[in-house]
Amino acid sequence: MSKISKSVLIISVVLSYSNLSQAQFSGNNIAEYQYGSLPGDSTSMSTLYDRLVAGYNYKFLKASATLEQFHTPLAGSSYIKLSQFSLQYKHKSFDIKAGNFYETIGRGTLLRSFEIPGAILEDLSYRSRHYFNRDLLGISARFQHKDFQTKILYGRPLNYVFPPTQEFNDRRADTFAAIYSEYSHKSQTLGVSAMKHSNSGTDKYFLMTTLSGNISEIVSYYTEIAKNVSDFALSDFSDQASYAIYGGLNLTINNFGLSAEYKNYKNILIGSGINEAPALIKEHTYKVLNRSTHVLQLINETGYQIEAFYTFPDLSTLTFNNSLAINNFGQETIFQEYFLEYDFSISDKHDIKIFTDYAEDPFKLEEHRISAGINTDWKAFKASSIKANYEFQTFKRLGENYQNHVFVLGYAYKSKIIGTIVTEYSNDSFIITEGSKIWFGAGIKYQVNKSNNLQIFAGERRGGPACNAGVCYEVLDFKGIELRLTSRF
Amino acid sequence: MFSAFGLTAQTVADFKFKDLENNARTYSELKGEKLTLIDFWATWCGPCNKAIPELNKIYSLYKTKGVEIIGINCDGPRSVIKVGPLSKALQIQYPVLIDLNSELKTELNIITLPTLIIVNSKGKIVWTHEGFVTGDTEVIISEIEKHLNAD
Repeated sequence: MSKISKSVLIISVVLSYSNLSQAQFSGNNIAEYQYGSLPGDSTSMSTLYDRLVAGYNYKFLKASATLEQFHTPLAGSSYIKLSQFSLQYKHKSFDIKAGNFYETIGRGTLLRSFEIPGAILEDLSYRSRHYFNRDLLGISARFQHKDFQTKILYGRPLNYVFPPTQEFNDRRADTFAAIYSEYSHKSQTLGVSAMKHSNSGTDKYFLMTTLSGNISEIVSYYTEIAKNVSDFALSDFSDQASYAIYGGLNLTINNFGLSAEYKNYKNILIGSGINEAPALIKEHTYKVLNRSTHVLQLINETGYQIEAFYTFPDLSTLTFNNSLAINNFGQETIFQEYFLEYDFSISDKHDIKIFTDYAEDPFKLEEHRISAGINTDWKAFKASSIKANYEFQTFKRLGENYQNHVFVLGYAYKSKIIGTIVTEYSNDSFIITEGSKIWFGAGIKYQVNKSNNLQIFAGERRGGPACNAGVCYEVLDFKGIELRLTSRF
Repeated sequence: MFSAFGLTAQTVADFKFKDLENNARTYSELKGEKLTLIDFWATWCGPCNKAIPELNKIYSLYKTKGVEIIGINCDGPRSVIKVGPLSKALQIQYPVLIDLNSELKTELNIITLPTLIIVNSKGKIVWTHEGFVTGDTEVIISEIEKHLNAD
């Protein structure tokens, strides 16, 4: 009997003997059917992905399991897996988890786990689809008392690059054991952590310390230093050493808010990538900017990010962002971006956002990248609105000029029904081998009832890098029909 | 085993997170006498930011009627630094707590941002709303009225 089957059996027995007067069962399901093709496909095909999460609570106990499945005509890419299971005891000062769980140490410089809601990953190598998460399989125990908390973690992080069709040891090649403790005193918090990491028979030890708090009513700060202490002396902060230094400062005065952050990361990519330090690059909601992101290089990156917000008396908001990332892999490259957005309303009913952005991105060989756009949300009647967005981007690469355009037209009746048409144009030679291309797609989201919603897409969707919930990944172009049913119970 | 499952509405167990002033706050101390609205949001989420001024309006309408709102921020490590400045700039009137590890989000099966839930005085989730578009304010108010009367 496999370890997972044994665990499920134990959980089942525990639940079966529970007094059920205070018990509850809850969960959600995402089912997605696609008929279409990915880049390089000569014919269209049908695939079905489903992820069922079921949880059961009884007093201080919670058990949950995730059943994930994918069906495709392609040999070796289909699977049905119990991809997660967990048992949690949470009462007063104690929180103990066993199985699959999510934990992050500090701001993620040593360890970061995450789940990107609703995101399904796929790639051209494995031709399989799976949920986008990095969970930890193991055990964690947290104890909190007044201003003190400590947590002990042991587990094997998931390398989400590999789909569930791959071997367990490939998907979870890293093992870690860590302890994190923090103590707060008068709005100041000191945290310390130690972690042992193992991969392919090699053990490494890391230390981390954080200090955060409020300097005054209007100024707060956060600092974090993490370091590999196996291969380098504790005091070694040379370019050859392995460390991460992160600091952030917040300033708020009435309607004005400002955050300023600094990063200095050297050789701090741990194992197959179990950590993820703050990127300090703005995650944009605009399509042309979201996919133009700079991907953080934990091997060598320094830089800063400043973001300022100001809300005017009429509740319109001005946002400014400036970020800088310097990488040095034998040759220094500098990514820099300036972003300005104004968000306002007309007659307290119609919402308008305008933005402009300037960037230099040597990683993608993009010079003088200029982006601009307008998003309008026009209240048509009492409960419906019409959305019209236009985004434009131009840049030079190796002397040639390239452009991207995005046009979105939508209609929404409350959140009950939302219809959207998306058209994109590009002549970017990194995407189109010759000439230019137009993508055209239409989607409808229908809230069937309070527990179910249905999304339908038809047409062609442009892929590329996408950033969601602080994590960037690659989305493939898709041409065809897609139906997604999301349910909760 | 499955015959043993109780199919009742999900309840919100007490939780504890830090607020924007770095103070630990619990659900039990912040919940409303009659209803509690919990808004799951993030700074990078456009519809979330669109919903906040509307939630401010709803809060000013209902805070004297036993209704409280708690903002649960789900930014994560990458952009959590921006939560304080943006919250102040947007003049969020209700408490905002930082769920850095998405613990509550996972516990309550939240799969979209923003998601707004209404919790009654017995701790049961009586309504869940995903996303935010123009026209949703009226829907939220209508649900508050419905559950205030039912409570």
